[in-house]
This record gives sequence, C-alpha cells and structure tokens, in this order.
Amino acid sequence: MESRLLRVDLTTGECNSEVIPHSVFERWIGGSGINNWIMWEHFLTHDVNCDPRGPDNIFVFGVGPLAGTGAGSGIKGRITFKSPCYNMFGDSAGGGKFPYMVRFSGFEYIAITGKAPKPCYLHISNQEVSILDAAHLWGKNTAETHALLQEEHGTYPSKTHTLTVSQAGENGVGIAGVVSDALRIHARCGGGAVMGSKNLKAIAVQGSGGLPVTRPKDMLAWSDDFRKKIDSNEAVYGFKRRGTLGAVEMYQHIGSHFWRNNQGNMFRGDEIRSDNWVKKYHKYSEVCSSDCFIACDAKYKIDGTESEAAQKYVGETFRRPEYLTTGSAAGALDVRDWAEVAHWGKLTNDYGIDNQDLSCSISFLMELKQRDLISDRDVAELFGHEQSLEWGNMEDIEACVEDVVFQRNAFGVMFRDGPYHGALKYSAMMGKNFMKYAMYGKGGASFTEEMRPFPTWMNNMAVASRGADHLKGIGLIEKFQRKDLSKIYFDGRIEAADLSTTELKGACTAVVENQVALLNSYGVCMFHWMLDPAGYTPQDYYGKAYGAVTGIDRTPKELMHDGERICNLEKAFNSRVGMRREHDTVCERWMWEPTEEGIYPGKVAADMFETVLSDYYEWRGWDKASGLQTRAKLTELGLDDVADVLEADGALA
Amino acid sequence: MITVHTEFHSHFRELAATDKDSFDLDQPLVSELAERIGAKYGPKMQAMLIDPETHELNERGTMFVDTKGRRISMEDTLDDGETITFLVGIAGG
Repeated sequence: MESRLLRVDLTTGECNSEVIPHSVFERWIGGSGINNWIMWEHFLTHDVNCDPRGPDNIFVFGVGPLAGTGAGSGIKGRITFKSPCYNMFGDSAGGGKFPYMVRFSGFEYIAITGKAPKPCYLHISNQEVSILDAAHLWGKNTAETHALLQEEHGTYPSKTHTLTVSQAGENGVGIAGVVSDALRIHARCGGGAVMGSKNLKAIAVQGSGGLPVTRPKDMLAWSDDFRKKIDSNEAVYGFKRRGTLGAVEMYQHIGSHFWRNNQGNMFRGDEIRSDNWVKKYHKYSEVCSSDCFIACDAKYKIDGTESEAAQKYVGETFRRPEYLTTGSAAGALDVRDWAEVAHWGKLTNDYGIDNQDLSCSISFLMELKQRDLISDRDVAELFGHEQSLEWGNMEDIEACVEDVVFQRNAFGVMFRDGPYHGALKYSAMMGKNFMKYAMYGKGGASFTEEMRPFPTWMNNMAVASRGADHLKGIGLIEKFQRKDLSKIYFDGRIEAADLSTTELKGACTAVVENQVALLNSYGVCMFHWMLDPAGYTPQDYYGKAYGAVTGIDRTPKELMHDGERICNLEKAFNSRVGMRREHDTVCERWMWEPTEEGIYPGKVAADMFETVLSDYYEWRGWDKASGLQTRAKLTELGLDDVADVLEADGALA
Repeated sequence: MITVHTEFHSHFRELAATDKDSFDLDQPLVSELAERIGAKYGPKMQAMLIDPETHELNERGTMFVDTKGRRISMEDTLDDGETITFLVGIAGG
C-alpha cells in the first residue's frame, strides 16, 4: 500500500509530493507514528529549541491506515508540532469528514514548514496543490472561514472540507486549536498558533479518489464481525443516545467533576446533575464520520424554551456538547444553565480555542477573586473593562474568551498559553505566589475532571507527552474498576483495578499508553475501544484490520512494541527540549489538598504519586532518577538512531 | 429475606423507566438481584446487566457500585437495606 506525503514550504512556496518509503512503516505503523517520525526527522536539521511560533516549527497533518476504509471505527486525523503553549511535544486529534477527504485527495500526510509572506491557505484537489491568497479570510472565525471556502470551491470533484484557524490562531494565542469543517476542534497544544504564525489560515481539501485495501475480503469480514459485536452491545445504544454526556451522572455519583477550579467535584444546580436535559437538545443528524458504527454525535438547535438562558440563544445550532465541554463550563466555571453550556461549546469552537485551557485560566482568577486574594482594582487593572469574575456569569466569561482570542488586554496576553504560564506571570506581576490555585500537570492545563482518587490517571497527568492529558493514557481500568481488564493485561492480577493500592498503577499507565498509541496510529476513534477494551484490543482485534488494509501482518506482541516505540519517540522529543523527572509532576491542589466530596473523600495525589511514577519509569525501562531513556531500552525497540541523537544532546541516561 | 434498593442512571433509567426501585431477595446475592432486575425490566436491561458469554455482570460500558463506590461482582453478597447504583461507564470527550 502506497502512502503519499505532501511537503509544503510556505517560505518558498514549493509543494512536493513523495511516497513514504516502505521501510518507514516497519517502525512507524501510520497515523501518529508517522506524524511523530516526520517531526523528529525535521528537528534533526532544525533547532529543536526553536520558537514554536517561528518558521522553524513544523505542522504535520496525518491520517492512519484504517481511516476511510469502512473499518467502522470512525476516523481521526492528527496534527503534530512543537507546542507553542507548553514548549514541548504537541499533537491533537480531531474527527469528522476532513481526515478521510485528505485521503480521497491522494495524500495521507501533509507536512508544512516555513512562513508565508502574507496570509494564505492551502487548496488540495486530487493531488493538485495550490497556495492561495487568504486576505479575504483573515480576521474571520472558523465557521465563517469554512463557509467562505465551501462557497469558493464548491462541490466538484467533491464537497469542500476544511481545517481552519480563527483570529486566535492569527494572533498567536498558544491555546488556539485547529477546527475541522467548523465542527470539530483539534484543541490541545496550540496547533492554531502554529498555523497562524505561518500565515496559514486554512487547508481546503477536495478528493474523489479511492482507497487501497490490500485484502478486501478480509477487511469486509472484519468489518462485518465488528458490526455484529457493536450491535450486540446494549451499552452502545445508551452511548448513541447521550454520547459522552452519559458520564455526567456517573461523575456526579462518584465525585469526579471539576467544580469551581476543582475546589469540589460535584456539579451544583438541579438540572445539570442529571442528563435528562440531553433529550431537549438531542436531534440525530449527520455530524459523525460516515465510517462510524456508533455515531455518538448529534446536533442541537435552541428554540428558547429549554431553560431560562435559552432565550439569549434562540436559533443557535451546533454539536451537542461533549462531556469535557460540559465539565469545563458546568464544572470549572460553575455555569448552571444548559443553554449556556451548549453556547460555550459553540463559542470556543467558533473561536477555535481550547476550552480546557481557557476554563482553567478563567477559573483560576475566579478563585483568587472568591478568596479576596485580588481586589476589584486588581481585576480592573488586569482586564481594563468591567469584569465581575463571578462564578457562572456567562456574559463575563464570554468577555474573557474574547480577551484571549483578540489579545485585547493584560489578561488575554498573560493567559494566552494556558493556566500554568498565566499563573506564573500573574504571580510575578503581583509579587505573590498564586500557583497553589493553578490547575495543571507537566505545565499543561488540567483536563476538567477530578483526578485525586485515581492514581493511574494522576500519573497520566504527570507523564503524558503533551502535558496533563486524558487521551494518552486513559485510566479507565481503575476508574471503572475493571478487574476483568486487569486480569487480561497483567496475567490474572487484579490490582490495576484497585484504587487502594499503588500496585500495577505505573505499569497500567505504560500499557494503556502503548495501546492508545496504536489506536492513534490506526486513525480510529477511541470510543469503540472504550466501550469494550477486552473485545476490541488494539494489538489483536484492530491488528487484524491493520493487516487486511496494509498487507503488513504483525503479531500482537509486535504491535505492542510498535505502540511502545511511538511513546518513546514522543518522550525522546521532550527529553531533547530539556524535560526530566522533575517536570513529570502535577499541581499543588491535586498533590496536597484532600478531596472533600464524592464517594472517595480525603484523597491526595501525594499518597501514591512518587511510588507510581517510579514504577512507571521502571516498567518503561527508563532511568528512575532522571526520568531519561536508556540506550538499552531504545536498542530493544530498534531506536539506536534515536539514542544517538539523545546522547549527542546529553539527554540519554 | 433482605431488601435492596437500586438507583438507575442514564441509559439504565431509560430502560427501567424509573430512577429508583427496591427488591426483596431470598438470597443476599448480587446474582439474584441481577436476575430479578433483568426479569422485571426485560431483555434490553438483561443485556446491559449480564454478559451473555461469561454470565458475569457486564462490564462493557457499565459501572455497578455499592455505597462505598466499589464495583460489585456476581459473587458478592448484599446487606439488608443496601443501595446499588447502576451507572454507564464512559469518560472523556
């Protein structure tokens, strides 16, 4: 199977298409694996310590081999770059129809370097590539840009699909994301700022090509079996009905929300505790990839009768909020009206900005105000306009969003890279230490869920390659107490599912990271796997689909090594930019402040943190003292060349 | 005989068409509770509760916990007056 990479140098305007050599796939199986390798190679000839907003950074888009093949697992595209907000490895996934259209246009990977002399966008139509003037798009949000590009390029040879940035990306906001078809944001790590800093407003794609499948009969048989498995899983119907909002009531019961900057872990307000409200907004429509057997997404349209605040948003239509959109609004910011929660999702998507970073930045300041640690005068000086910093005040929250997007005051500039860097700068400006109230892991914004009762997930927050992260490790074995999975993963042992012990928690972080790296390399959605991790194992079940599509047959053990190799390359990148064990840590609140609510009260990360972290390094074969990789482990994974680079940089144990 | 209370959330609430119920059990066993709930609310609820291959409690996309937040298993015993909560097991987004 041939995979084609489009290289675009925006400084010179050169566009070159190349076939990725088969040898590359022997180590990097596709998707995130190939993305990472393209970036790694780029930084062998460019300064890895470059300014992420400068022309030396690279922006890679890629799709995995299963994407668009009818595998039934949805489609995820991935962007990879050096993160401008966290200054380390950065990547972010997004679904929808843009990723498979990239494949239909004849490419699987796009690598963009340099900086265009003026605003531009990339247009790809069946392998014809043009760099076009974007003057008329500059200053538009993602929805407006998408609409203009669709109108401009029409429906031949196919409907136009887009990847766009908003004014936030244009303004270099570090927490700006990239939005696919105006609906789905690649939110984390600041890909929008990388595109914006390159004067690249959008990528518009049209394609009518087919996709090669090496063994179509095997693929159809696999797909048929997968369909039957999905259809026999009653939980899937519940998931279709609510999407990730099904988590609202479970989190309310166990105490896993992130209320008011995680001062608590339960939602307040009668209506938002339940997911009954979902019915008000739920309308099935085609917002999912056509290649998904579950299709958990839906659109809403507000008619004004749903809630007290709904009148403000009559006619507004968008995707139903995901859990973390809800967690950031109803949790972090204590917004209690569902129409406002839904609006928050649309607002942050249209402005193409990460609502996790944003909510943690705003809620940090709200807590300072709540505790009278800052005065009305301090607030006035920071914002330069009226701002209450009241919990749940949606109008003032909306003003905060625009402050950041348009960089229009000291708050917007100070918090453009998220809560960690914002809190550091604000503490310095005020001559006080406010870091106790900043929520982060490894310098990245916390994702808005309670972590303290869950040692594996807490470890994920500390070690994930792109800062605090729920999508690299996913601690569901312990959160859902899946003894069945623990037995499968660890030779009959059940401790990985036991919240009261440190046993197997470091190991569990590593094993699940490897599995997730595989899913991200295939280019499939993680939710199918989450609904039955025992049945849809990435290294076994999905491995068969990978073999049918690519003709490359790997054993489950080999595939787990492939996943491990991908995690090690991300780690190596971060080691090159100076990250060590001391960076693998979490914020003070999680570390030292006990939970007071939920069914797991009195939990702090410190109880288990260092033990779990050391076990993780040991399981990974890394040096416990420094956190750095060893040559022995890299050699075992066939990464001697990576070890050589690290050694030359003084970043090998 | 003991009485066990149940709380149904999300998809479970839809299948049961109620958010709470109580069951009088002859044996204080989770297996009896699961059987009674399945019989009362029909095959879809049965499919959510019981894994057809292993005949254990279904762990795929579900979470059944006692008042201390521990996931229950088929072989667990129940106390008189205890409440078991039926939740969907999904995260993220």
